[in-house]
Amino acid sequence: MGKNRKTVLYALRFIAFAGTLSAVIVMVTSKEENYFYGVELEAKYTHSPALTYFVIANSIGAVYGFLLLFLPPASMLWRFVVAVDVVVVLLLSSSFSAAMAIAYVGKEGNYYAGWLPVCDQISDFCHHVTGALTAAFVALVIYTELLCTLL
Amino acid sequence: MPLHENGEKQESGSKPSTPEKRQCWVVLVLRVLALCATVSATVVMALNKETKTIVLATIGTTPIKATLNAKFQYTKAFVFFVIAYGIGSIHNLLVLVATLFPHKFDFKGLRLLLITITDMMTVALLAAAAGAAASMAELGMNGNKHARWSKICDRFDTFCDHGTGALIASFVAVILLMILNVLSIITLSRKPTFQTIVP
Repeated sequence: MGKNRKTVLYALRFIAFAGTLSAVIVMVTSKEENYFYGVELEAKYTHSPALTYFVIANSIGAVYGFLLLFLPPASMLWRFVVAVDVVVVLLLSSSFSAAMAIAYVGKEGNYYAGWLPVCDQISDFCHHVTGALTAAFVALVIYTELLCTLL
Repeated sequence: MPLHENGEKQESGSKPSTPEKRQCWVVLVLRVLALCATVSATVVMALNKETKTIVLATIGTTPIKATLNAKFQYTKAFVFFVIAYGIGSIHNLLVLVATLFPHKFDFKGLRLLLITITDMMTVALLAAAAGAAASMAELGMNGNKHARWSKICDRFDTFCDHGTGALIASFVAVILLMILNVLSIITLSRKPTFQTIVP
């Protein structure tokens, strides 16, 4: 029973690591150039600080997950994992919601601020960002659920 | 009668010793500060409103005016911010009451565990709300020339100042709540079993 539980927890950690890694990769490779009425529109993740923060935070989460996969089960460092897990969940959740806020403005616009939605012109970029956000959300949910099992 | 007095003296002698008492005071002060931070973040953002009247044109001698509003409800991220910090304030208040009156809120010795778990969930929620509001505030302050989104802080400076204040309070609240959570986890990890929890 204990071994089954440990296997399930390790599998969950691996899935969360894969989620953060794929979020980083999908966001970094999301580049699109479009010519719209003669005006060149280029969309990259570096054009928005929130998406840059998303990439950085999910990279930190991916490195943390990768290091945890190789931590031996009897190590004393697992006591610190509880506290560091809280910090990593904070990072991942704040980066996800920051990127989500920017993605919402890009898709729906903000009428009162005079910000027009841009996803119609750069739909490929928007799909990439959606995919990255989905992967990061899955990783975030798994990390949050792992927090409760550690206590 | 002396037996009764001895019994009472033994009960009052079970107060926490000096380092535990110091930790109790530290946790209490941090919790009160976190409560103040969450409440101020909620209130300042909820009352964030600015109205500006600009003159569009002048026909003869009568000016045509337009009224521009900036309210927190116009941005979904700020609505999320207000709701999340409201929930955080309620959580902080309940935990403060539970730590001030420990004998009425015992939960069969699981009080510290419950506080730690709900603290974790609250801190994740507050961090998400702070991140979303900070990204929208950065967009309003700097704009985004690649997406042709102009900045709004040069026209609505009071709105932006109040938003900045609410964001600073929110970051302070997240940091304090995280410190409190780590202290609770350290206290939990020192107990031999969960049944003997007495914070």
